[in-house]
Amino acid sequence: MQNASFLPVAFEVIQLAGALLVLLVGVIAGKQRRVWAPIAGVTFLASAGAGVLQWRAVSEGSGGFFFSTQELEIMRSPMVVMDGLSAFAAIVLGLVGFVALLGSWDLVASLGKRSSEFVALTLLAVAGLHMMTVTPNLVVIFIGLETASISFYVLAGFIRGSRKSDESALKYFLLGSLASAMFLYGVALTFAATGSLSIYGVNSIRDFFSITIITEPGILLAGLALMFVGLFFKISAAPFHQWAPDVYQGAPSGAVGLMAAGVKIAGFAALARIFIGGFVSQTDVWVPIVAVVAAISMIVGTTMALVQTDLKRLLAYSGVAHSGYLLAAMVGGIRGIPPMWFYVSTYAFMIVGAFTIVSVVCGPASTAAPIDSFKGLAKRSPEMGWLLAIIMFGMSGMPFFAGFVGKVFAFVVAGEAGYMWLVVIGTLTTVVGFAFYLRVVSGIFSSGDDDDREIDPSLSARFAIVISAVATVLFGIVPWPLLDVVREALPF
Amino acid sequence: MPVLSILIVLPLVGAIVVGLLPRHRTELVYPIALAMSIPPLAAALHILWYFNAGDASFQFGEHIVLVESFGISWTLAVDGISLFMVVLTALLFPISIAASHSITDRAKTYMVLMLILETGVLGVFLSLDLFVFFAFFEIVLIPMYLLISMWGSENRAYASLKFVLFTAVGSAFLLASIVALGVLTGEQLGTLVNFDFRNMLSVEFSSTTELALFVGFAIAFAIKIPLFPFHTWLPDAHTEAPTAGSVILAGVLLKMGTYGFLRFNLTLFPQAAVDLAIPLAILGVIGIVYGAAVAIVQPDIKRLIAYSSVSHMGFIVLGTFALTTQGLSGSVVLMISHGLTTGALFLLIGMVYERTHTRKIADYGGLAKVMPVYAGIFLFSAFASAGLPGLSGFIGEFTILIGAYLSLPVLTIIAGSGVILAAIYLLWAYERVFTGPVTNSKLEGLKDLGFREVAILAPLIVLIIGIGVYPKPVFDRVEPSVEIILDRIEAETEFEVPEFARVSDLVDIDYEAEREVSDHDDGEEG
Repeated sequence: MQNASFLPVAFEVIQLAGALLVLLVGVIAGKQRRVWAPIAGVTFLASAGAGVLQWRAVSEGSGGFFFSTQELEIMRSPMVVMDGLSAFAAIVLGLVGFVALLGSWDLVASLGKRSSEFVALTLLAVAGLHMMTVTPNLVVIFIGLETASISFYVLAGFIRGSRKSDESALKYFLLGSLASAMFLYGVALTFAATGSLSIYGVNSIRDFFSITIITEPGILLAGLALMFVGLFFKISAAPFHQWAPDVYQGAPSGAVGLMAAGVKIAGFAALARIFIGGFVSQTDVWVPIVAVVAAISMIVGTTMALVQTDLKRLLAYSGVAHSGYLLAAMVGGIRGIPPMWFYVSTYAFMIVGAFTIVSVVCGPASTAAPIDSFKGLAKRSPEMGWLLAIIMFGMSGMPFFAGFVGKVFAFVVAGEAGYMWLVVIGTLTTVVGFAFYLRVVSGIFSSGDDDDREIDPSLSARFAIVISAVATVLFGIVPWPLLDVVREALPF
Repeated sequence: MPVLSILIVLPLVGAIVVGLLPRHRTELVYPIALAMSIPPLAAALHILWYFNAGDASFQFGEHIVLVESFGISWTLAVDGISLFMVVLTALLFPISIAASHSITDRAKTYMVLMLILETGVLGVFLSLDLFVFFAFFEIVLIPMYLLISMWGSENRAYASLKFVLFTAVGSAFLLASIVALGVLTGEQLGTLVNFDFRNMLSVEFSSTTELALFVGFAIAFAIKIPLFPFHTWLPDAHTEAPTAGSVILAGVLLKMGTYGFLRFNLTLFPQAAVDLAIPLAILGVIGIVYGAAVAIVQPDIKRLIAYSSVSHMGFIVLGTFALTTQGLSGSVVLMISHGLTTGALFLLIGMVYERTHTRKIADYGGLAKVMPVYAGIFLFSAFASAGLPGLSGFIGEFTILIGAYLSLPVLTIIAGSGVILAAIYLLWAYERVFTGPVTNSKLEGLKDLGFREVAILAPLIVLIIGIGVYPKPVFDRVEPSVEIILDRIEAETEFEVPEFARVSDLVDIDYEAEREVSDHDDGEEG
């Protein structure tokens, strides 16, 4: 029976099982983290493996809707959908989670008894993130969003006793809850307007508005707008980005990578599913909104990043700009989804690599990461210096690094949709972006003055950074295989 | 055999080989890097040898579809215009690498960056897919940025960042225009997007679109050239860059801009090119006079040569927008010649800088007594740069002036003053540096050029004389490609390319006989 199928929810089930196991073993084994270290790694890889199986199932044609509440075809309301979008999200989230965990291993090692909680929260957060991408039901999306967000609130404040970390967690919690509440209100209004919690309307199968009678179109628009605000907050698109720099800076360096990468992946997948997959008929309404927010994000993110003196804040603001480029891809509708996937998945690796380097250079539990502390990095450790330079080039959108391909394809689909002004803003902000990325790079290769301590990253951190840098270069030079894959990663 | 792909990949292979050298064997870096820069030269000479002279179409073509849904392909080909840019690139890189003997600090990284840079530049000149072209056009910035910022002189951080940001601003407009052009091409082909240059030739534009796209391309190339008033990055970058960096920057990187004008602006947007020819030619002429005038008063010899580049590049732009056969082919010849002569001058300055560690003209004087061979070669290069008849600079500038006089006589007369000013700034600099008594005690006892240094300069000297005396092989290959561009302009617009009155127009005689006369004329110009 299809409804009892395990595969569509395999990712969540594996992650939750892994989290519980880690907590259990953590209680029994106490400080001996070696015992449960493999469990967390295997969980992430198994989840990614489940993603691959889902992908294969989808390409064989056995994807579709699962766990419907009603037997009646016309009224059924599926809870889970297995399609290219959710399967690809599973693969990317599993791999990024794995690499990010490796990157934060130094932090985990320093936490002593509480380290199992940290790992369990990481696993839970990723489960929640994937839940956002795997369902056409707006309430389930909200549950996923909250699962991930609450885990991240805790992770942001995990270093107890650090005032910065406390402040960061509190700020994230208060603002994040507000955004979640807005999203939930948007869901409620959408329900009021359509009588359904599914993004496909009462029919629940794709052609939403052919059957659904919208009694209150104004209320639907308000609902859409509120859902946008909630998700824009999570992906830190301007003008809903103010939390990001403070939270990134205040949270322990080792924990930020996953926060930054995971939320972007899931947030954009959810945006794509809800608006491109679901509310197709409202395209004329939401595309201009997305275009304007994209432009504001590019401009604000880039301008603010220019004046930062802290690398974590700089990466936060550059993340705002990257959200802008990703939103530019979404302007192209269904055609924008493959570039969006390419961009967000390569960006996820780059940002994880970048924060891992920050945690290596400034310490895993550090909160501040002044750019000056990266001066002369190439002298202290040529390997780290070059890897950070590669990641910076990748983020800046230089050709033959992964960021370029994603960015240009995003511009192309925006151009196709007739948004040439957005393309011009995008190319110009990209150039301004060179200024701050190259400032970091020239710092790396300048002669550092006082600090001559050798940098010796742990094996796991080194592994995470190398993987990110290799992905950045590899998908920059030969993007074709990944491009072929993401072409199929569409919502059902 | 995909010769062009091999040519692009060879320096990259070299970079990987050099990069994999063991860390402690630093003595291997220089010879192996030098050896690795020879195969691309051999491949380029192979292309030059088998290039079908007189054939205007693209040769050695390659075409592989990379991303079908985005209309991107690996399309390479050469024609008469790109042919010589490719050969010049493949020649200047071994020379610059050979001249980098004194680089001992992080030599391996340096050589790897040089070879990556070569791949990038070759890609720019060979790509006919605009997406790939842009990727190469932009990637060149990274190795050049790192070369200046890691091995430059005192003010390198400022100069390298200025260089990247200036050119990248141009790239932003270029990328936006390429995206728009790709979308337009796709629409008219019935696919979604397409970036193949050859498909773009059949696209019909509204006149505003054409103008906007032309301007987008033109800003990028004008900054790269650099055309007045976008030139301010160049003196800084040139002056701060290490010797090899200056050679490559002046020799080939600036040519990416003028090449872009010829290949894309004139070919893709003929109407806009005709409409904007005069303003751009005026900017070129301002560049000629301004660059030369500023060069006269420079106290720094490297800065002087940098400003002379602004002046020479102005000639190339004037020739391009004269829109005549002579103007365009003269531009291509001057691009080659400028690469050779300015390359030689930067190499010479680098050689003496290694000995004295100063570039101030005031610190020199009477150098000819100490280093006679050096002085001789410097004077020769200065003459070649100033356009002495019998040397390559003359052929380029003279042909441009002839061609430009046909369509823009007033501007040409003003531009002619550039030739005189060039003689002033170069010879006056020569006088201050080389003649008179030895004023600075540091100069005494300097060693004259050694065998290695002369050997590095020799190929440039031979080519400067060769092109100066017998330019016909160059013109034979350039002219057909240039005429295709002009034919297209005539077909698409109401512009008539002015030509010299033919004898056959005046008297009714056989065209073939007249053709021989014009061939004979080309020969005599040398």
